[in-house]
Amino acid sequence: MNFNHKFVFLLPGLLVLIGILIFPIVFTVRLSLSSWDSFYPGLDFIGLDNYIRLFTDDKRFWESFFRLSFLSVTTVFLQYIIGFSLALMVWKDIIFKRFFRVLFLIPMMTTPVIMTVIWRTFFHESLGPVNDFFSLFGITPLWLSNNILAKVTVIIVEVWQWTPFMFLLLLAGLLSLPKEPFLAASIDGAGPIRKFIYVTFPLMAPISIGAIIIRLIEASKIMDTVYVLTSGGPGTATETSSYYIFIKGLREFQIGYSAALSFTYLIIMIISLTIISKLLVKLLIKKI
Amino acid sequence: MRTFYLTLKYLIITLWSLFVIAPFLWALSTSFKDFNSVTGGATYIPWLQFEPSLEGWKVLVRSPAKGGVDIIEPYFNSIFVTCTASLISIILGTLAAYALSRFKFKAGFIKNNDITFFFISQRIMPPIVLSIPFFLMLGFLGLLDNLFGLILVYIVLLMPIAVWIMVDFFNKVPQEIDETALIDGCNPYQAFFKVVVPNSIPGLIVAGLFCIIFGWIDFFFAFILTFTEVQLLPVKIVALNSSVTPWWSLSASALVSVAPLIVVAFIVERYLSKGNLSGALK
Amino acid sequence: MKLVTDNLTFKPEKEYFLNKVSLEFEAGKLYTLLGRTLSGKTSLLKTIAGLQPIDTGNIIFEGKDFSTIPVWKRNVAMVYQQFINYPHLNVFDNIAFPLKQRKMKTSDIENEVSVAIHKVGLLGFEKRKIQELSGGQQQRVALARSLVKKAKILLLDEPLVNLDYKLREDLRNEFKNIFTSDLSANSILLYASTDPLEAMQLNGDIIVLDEGEILQSGTAKDVFENPTNIKVSEITNDPAMNILKGSIDSNKIILNENVQFKIPKHVKNIQAGTYHFGIRASDMILDDKGFDFNIDISEISGSETFLHLHQNELNIVLLIEEVKNFNENDKVKINFNLDKLYVFDGKGDLLFSPFKMN
Repeated sequence: MNFNHKFVFLLPGLLVLIGILIFPIVFTVRLSLSSWDSFYPGLDFIGLDNYIRLFTDDKRFWESFFRLSFLSVTTVFLQYIIGFSLALMVWKDIIFKRFFRVLFLIPMMTTPVIMTVIWRTFFHESLGPVNDFFSLFGITPLWLSNNILAKVTVIIVEVWQWTPFMFLLLLAGLLSLPKEPFLAASIDGAGPIRKFIYVTFPLMAPISIGAIIIRLIEASKIMDTVYVLTSGGPGTATETSSYYIFIKGLREFQIGYSAALSFTYLIIMIISLTIISKLLVKLLIKKI
Repeated sequence: MRTFYLTLKYLIITLWSLFVIAPFLWALSTSFKDFNSVTGGATYIPWLQFEPSLEGWKVLVRSPAKGGVDIIEPYFNSIFVTCTASLISIILGTLAAYALSRFKFKAGFIKNNDITFFFISQRIMPPIVLSIPFFLMLGFLGLLDNLFGLILVYIVLLMPIAVWIMVDFFNKVPQEIDETALIDGCNPYQAFFKVVVPNSIPGLIVAGLFCIIFGWIDFFFAFILTFTEVQLLPVKIVALNSSVTPWWSLSASALVSVAPLIVVAFIVERYLSKGNLSGALK
Repeated sequence: MKLVTDNLTFKPEKEYFLNKVSLEFEAGKLYTLLGRTLSGKTSLLKTIAGLQPIDTGNIIFEGKDFSTIPVWKRNVAMVYQQFINYPHLNVFDNIAFPLKQRKMKTSDIENEVSVAIHKVGLLGFEKRKIQELSGGQQQRVALARSLVKKAKILLLDEPLVNLDYKLREDLRNEFKNIFTSDLSANSILLYASTDPLEAMQLNGDIIVLDEGEILQSGTAKDVFENPTNIKVSEITNDPAMNILKGSIDSNKIILNENVQFKIPKHVKNIQAGTYHFGIRASDMILDDKGFDFNIDISEISGSETFLHLHQNELNIVLLIEEVKNFNENDKVKINFNLDKLYVFDGKGDLLFSPFKMN
């Protein structure tokens, strides 16, 4: 029999994806070796100059990268803790179970930038409800223009937006767990806390790892929220790598240099995500 | 002790629920305010704390010439781009996922898992990395500021999601079903469309929903690759924000923009409770 | 009409799925592929259906090369051990599916399907969804779908193995009647099974497979009476034939220092040396004048009792055709029905059988 039908199924998708992507990727690499900017647009060849500049003379990039790492790890950690707790709470029978499940899912269905526009008014320093509340205690925190509070605000908005995604993956995981281990634990007289530590958590470990990695990947792209909420400010207090590259490339039009930044950033992301996945697998699976 | 747990549980659920709806309630309240009510400081309850006004909602349907906020065209643009890109991604992604789930591929050291990973790994790519070359590429193709250019880009965003969900789904559909269809006289394409697809509806719906969600909520590419000719909803709303900010119309248009996908939350929950999602997501 | 497989070999990884399988199948006959799981039964069926590639070899059907014809044009029918139907269609549409695929007229389809439904005893279930049927009923639907095609080659891959015992017995008889009455005159029937008893009851030709290789083929009677080697005897006997290592010395068979007996008449001209002796569990009896054995386990199965016995290094299983209670570690005396003794050589090939060898 002719087994070549398989290519008819695979190739349309594969070729479309490669077709759309091949040029951008190759071109990014080529761009990164040029000095294309708004004064001299063009594909000249300057060797590794951009990369040398990046590694020796660009503190702002590395700062933005560590800021991004801090923001994404913190938000994903919070999302995991909260998402898992919520999933556990609406897993078994509670009143209005389905109502709460829908409610907890809603934020991820809303467009982040549009909700961020609302959040901006929410955290407005004189007209927003948050400071209306704090004014009861006689303080008006500067949510969007204080170095630390601006980060806190970004984290709050990100947690609001994406905890539902974590919640969804973990709840779907909980609902697919086999019943037998729980029965066995009940027969052995385990209470809810012991059941969680010895049964639920170990069974959920693989799903947890998957969910955390997916969220880390998505969180590493944080940019929309920052753009609308703080524009990276105050100063560079909330500037993430993506946002910094965006400024260099599409605001200052240092196209060549931003391509070098992009490419380096992509490589760093791939390496760090691989390391994190390996670590997570070790951390969560090994204990069992 | 049990009562303590229970109280704690409901306390947390209530607090989180309040947190979830707070911005919506705030936006709803703001959408009925006017200049004076907004600048007078935070107020929440109409009639009691401020005199409600319908101005914020009226501007949504007024023409731009008369100072209206024209979100109708961006609305349809967004629907068109999201649905078309999702549909194409689902079709191509499902076909590829079927091939990866059923047949063995081998080219040198590259095997099925590597091809699957190639598809899914496109989600790792930060949008910013692609933005500049996409900008130049679409400019070269004359597709900048054009819906079809955006659709092309969205396919890259969405196809990985379709492949991710459908490969897992097909792996759980017994291969013997397709084989039986072949034996019963279907060629591989008939077997796929007459037997495999009708039995994959839950997976297709979940994949479709996820494509629609992630297409609908994208801002970045729409922001970079379109300017004036075509605008998608998020870009339009953010543009409202950066111009002089009438909070009432901003809130009203924001609420209108996020409303349709909230329906999706209900559908996702239905699938979740029926247990279909657990199979389709993992 | 003949189906010939010639030297079929398929070795995708380290192990053989099929190893030089050369067979001939004739129309009007039932063939049972007997072998353990992963012995190559399913592989052979799938290869004949065209679902599995082969490395080398040929399949010839009605004088034509079968291997260039794709599955969907081969007109074969197959029933799997899992209950495979189309979950999105009801019973009627499931059975009608292959006929619709052939673009048959609607009225003809209705006739054919109702005949098949009647035959497998699913009258009144036409509009049911597959998920609402029991396992046995689902398998009836699968069978009806394979019958309705009037295929020239019908492949059944352990169709009854996932059913419970009682249902399996009933369906087996029913299936056999359906096949013999209906199809056999102009079609070839291949039935894969792991169960020797099933193979004997079906009473067709038996092909014994192991690790993708044909060990023996012949009539059920022949395979049962004269297993060509120890491996075949293991596959074709349940409970397995007792294989006892021993030696022949000065006209005596010596199993150990205590268990020794005369060489039976059908074992002729045998030289001294070490051999394997085979005796079925049912070919030994409790006998007060017999040899002493210790009981390890005694299990009752239906109306029979199995005794697992040992004496020093000698382990045997004995079958008694009645229900008897024994205690562990009790002693019993047993004797061998020496007329039923098999003798295999050191490599395991059959030397002497109690039945006539050809």
